[in-house]
Amino acid sequence: MLRFSLKPPGLGAKTVLSLASVVWLGAATTLPVRADIKIGFQVPLTGPAATDGKSAQIAGEMAVEDINAAGGVLGQKLQLVTYDDQAKSDQAIFTANKLIGEDGVKLVVNGSYSASGRAAAPVFQKAGVVMIAAYGVHPDITRAGDYMFRLVHLGPPQGAATALYIGKRLGLKKISTITMDNDYGQATMDGFLEAAPKYGIEVLNKYSYSLKDRQFGSIVASVKRDNPDGVYATGYFFTGGPLVAQLRAAGVTVPIIGSQAFDSEKFIEIAGPAAEGTYIIDSFDRDRKDEALQKFFAGFKERAGYAPEGVAAITYSAVKLMADGIKRAGSAEPDKVRDALAASKDFPLLEGNMDGFNSLHEIIMPIQVNEIKDGKFAPAGRITDLNAFAPPEK
Amino acid sequence: MSAYTVSIVSIIGINVILAVSLNMISGFCGQISLGHGAFFGAGAYAAALAMVATRNVPLALLAGLVAGSLLGIIVGFASLRVRSDFLAVTTIGVNFLFVGFVRKQPWLGGEMGISGIPATGLGASGNMIMILLLACVTVAFSLYVSRSWMGFAFRAVGEDEQAATTLGIGAGAYKLAAFGIGTAFAGLAGALYTFFTQFITVDAFDFIFSVMLMAMVVIGGIGSTWGVVAAAIGLTLLPEAIRFVNDYRLLVFGGMLVLVIRVAPGGFAAVIRNRFVRARQA
Amino acid sequence: MYYIDLAVTGISFGCMYAMMSVGLTLVYGLLRILHVAHAAVFALGAYVTVLAANATGNIALGFIAALIVTPLFSMAIYRLLYEPLLTYRPDVPMIASVGLLVLMQDAFRIVFGEQGVTFRRNALSFTTFDLSGVTVSAVQIAIVVTAFAVFLGLHLFTTRTRIGIGWRATVSKPKIAASFGIDPIKVRYLNFAIGAALAAAAGGLVALMNNLVDPAIGFVVSYKALAIIVLGGLGSVRGTLVASLVLGLVEAYGTIFIGAWLDRDAIAFLALIILLMIRPQGFTGMRTA
Repeated sequence: MLRFSLKPPGLGAKTVLSLASVVWLGAATTLPVRADIKIGFQVPLTGPAATDGKSAQIAGEMAVEDINAAGGVLGQKLQLVTYDDQAKSDQAIFTANKLIGEDGVKLVVNGSYSASGRAAAPVFQKAGVVMIAAYGVHPDITRAGDYMFRLVHLGPPQGAATALYIGKRLGLKKISTITMDNDYGQATMDGFLEAAPKYGIEVLNKYSYSLKDRQFGSIVASVKRDNPDGVYATGYFFTGGPLVAQLRAAGVTVPIIGSQAFDSEKFIEIAGPAAEGTYIIDSFDRDRKDEALQKFFAGFKERAGYAPEGVAAITYSAVKLMADGIKRAGSAEPDKVRDALAASKDFPLLEGNMDGFNSLHEIIMPIQVNEIKDGKFAPAGRITDLNAFAPPEK
Repeated sequence: MSAYTVSIVSIIGINVILAVSLNMISGFCGQISLGHGAFFGAGAYAAALAMVATRNVPLALLAGLVAGSLLGIIVGFASLRVRSDFLAVTTIGVNFLFVGFVRKQPWLGGEMGISGIPATGLGASGNMIMILLLACVTVAFSLYVSRSWMGFAFRAVGEDEQAATTLGIGAGAYKLAAFGIGTAFAGLAGALYTFFTQFITVDAFDFIFSVMLMAMVVIGGIGSTWGVVAAAIGLTLLPEAIRFVNDYRLLVFGGMLVLVIRVAPGGFAAVIRNRFVRARQA
Repeated sequence: MYYIDLAVTGISFGCMYAMMSVGLTLVYGLLRILHVAHAAVFALGAYVTVLAANATGNIALGFIAALIVTPLFSMAIYRLLYEPLLTYRPDVPMIASVGLLVLMQDAFRIVFGEQGVTFRRNALSFTTFDLSGVTVSAVQIAIVVTAFAVFLGLHLFTTRTRIGIGWRATVSKPKIAASFGIDPIKVRYLNFAIGAALAAAAGGLVALMNNLVDPAIGFVVSYKALAIIVLGGLGSVRGTLVASLVLGLVEAYGTIFIGAWLDRDAIAFLALIILLMIRPQGFTGMRTA
């Protein structure tokens, strides 16, 4: 008799799991349990974005716990249905199909990178599922349709606001730019390059690097040769950290301005003394005297073992906003939630109050700038000229 | 059939085509190719461009097939010049070059990839049926080759190239054939993938994916068509069925690869063959 | 000055690649196996350096810890993975090696966290010297000095000591060496240990350079190392050295010009493929029948 069967191992386990879940469901339906409101949650738990994925996951779970502890929404508890999308477009589509088909989810928070948000958005739009993109900045996400919302500033407006800050507030005229080659880094830099002439900024040279680079010897030497008034770089903290360290080590003393994803305690850790004086645009103001923020800060730090950064804060707020939308709509029906979300006014995000959404469901909110002082994030102004970086209306 | 089931079956079909085609190159003909993702990607991009330009499905399929095969034949020529040890590294290099090059080309979408690729018009279920049909064709072709003179020649070249040459088998020509055919199917799979996702970025075709494909071939049983099919199905379903596997995917796949090679280098197919032999002798 | 800056970058990279790749070429020279998992050895060296340095407060101790742990790990890989597979064709252990690398990288992520680890107190990363307009960092100096010392030591070892000579003999003519009474098994372990120690040193130095060790650290360098050893002629230490330095310089200068249409990491493979088309045996390798 054959001891090994040709049946693929996966099917065997799947059958067992299916049986188990049938039994469980049977048991569950006989118990007097209220139905939970399911919120789909896509986060990159593995792959190059795993660091942000982990932060987003913890923040999302914290938000659900806080909401449920306060009584839930409309008398029901929230339940997160989490999938790892690996920050890859095909996985995003795949997990989106899973959420819609298998889990019957109607409301989703996408806590992943732009590659994922862009791929998942059309899928959700077609299925009439509301999606709030927590921190994916590529324009395509909201362009997919009216069920899409974005809670972070779009890439290009962030870049435009950066140009305003560098040109007017810091008064720097000659800039060397360093772009991270992915949709996030490029979208943000594009906004900067377009707005730069308006503030008298001359871009001396443009350099680029890829997500996995940690060595920037050639770029650093070239920037040194450019001799600019300032350096603007887009990237994540794990690229920005080494980049800033190497720039300073090479003797580049002019101000360095980084993009939003530099915002993390880890950035300061990696760059060490070199981080001092770095500006980060659309950074998260940790000093705000807000009770919810301080509570979140402490709670996250305890759970994760490191201090929360922008990604965590905004993912938390995304879940909170979704719950608020359900409450205001008086129902978990996606059409009603969508309308309630679109009508949001003055909603308290952890980062501050958002004024609302525009017609493309892009967020309207001033941009906070931080500077690293004494190894800590210190507020360095807010860009309140909303028109200067207004997101597109279509 | 739920949308989820359709998408899972579609992915299984694509992986089967990829694994079986890799088996033709590395299993039948013994040319270790660790860059199969590049041919898959070449087919996907060619098909994407064709769809965006013409919306013609058969044309896109053909474009994918041709693109994969062309790149494959070029690499095949390389395999003629270099020693077999170098070949593995060369195929890794091809994979990295493909990804590194495409990343920077704006006309190929660069980092953003190509989005908004027009649908085939067949719907998700229609696509799935097309994928399944082509997967069956691939498997049938592979079985046919395996039992044919060409398969014999492939195996001869794979086992002992010099001996094969003394038998009058032109090793070079057969190596090229193996590459050309195997990569043609990979390119085809690429086109099907493009129809399925309608949005491609170059990350999907990286070296890690090529390693996963090789894992399917090895675990299934290098050289055995049915073994590889089973492994492709199983390894695609495994992360879906078991949550743990999904979260620790690379750990599990890498671990399985190591274990299988250590314990049963012939893969599951060899294990089963041995059982048959053992049972018959008993 | 700019071009000298680039040269400094290129040379320090080249030295780092050399230390990393020699271990790979040593294993190939002895066993004809492409030890892809060497990248995991390198990454482990980097992790251990940082963690040990943080635990003891002393960076030097971190390096020493890495130099002890990493060779042990490498020898274990030989014993558990390669030795049982030596009877098969070399593709088989290579595939196992690839599997091991993928496994280890994920293991690093799971055990040490996605965020990676950083030195807690590390002035070395940020110390630089200005030599008439050219900025050189302390770490770059450390890399070049270490590489020089290491390769000089290796040369002396293999030409002046009995063990070293025995090792070289085994690599080139295993049967004859065995008939002289040299134990081939011991030589193999030595081989893996030395290669690993070099990689660990390289790993620690990279950790110092970036002040960050994340799970991806092995990834990029590992495949380049493969290209390097092929370029240098599989099995030739000298060839590997040359290829490493050349690649380091080509990357440093090339990134600026080629970076617009090709990812920097692909440059190594482009060079490899071009070279192999012209000279299939690599820089200094022998052409086999």
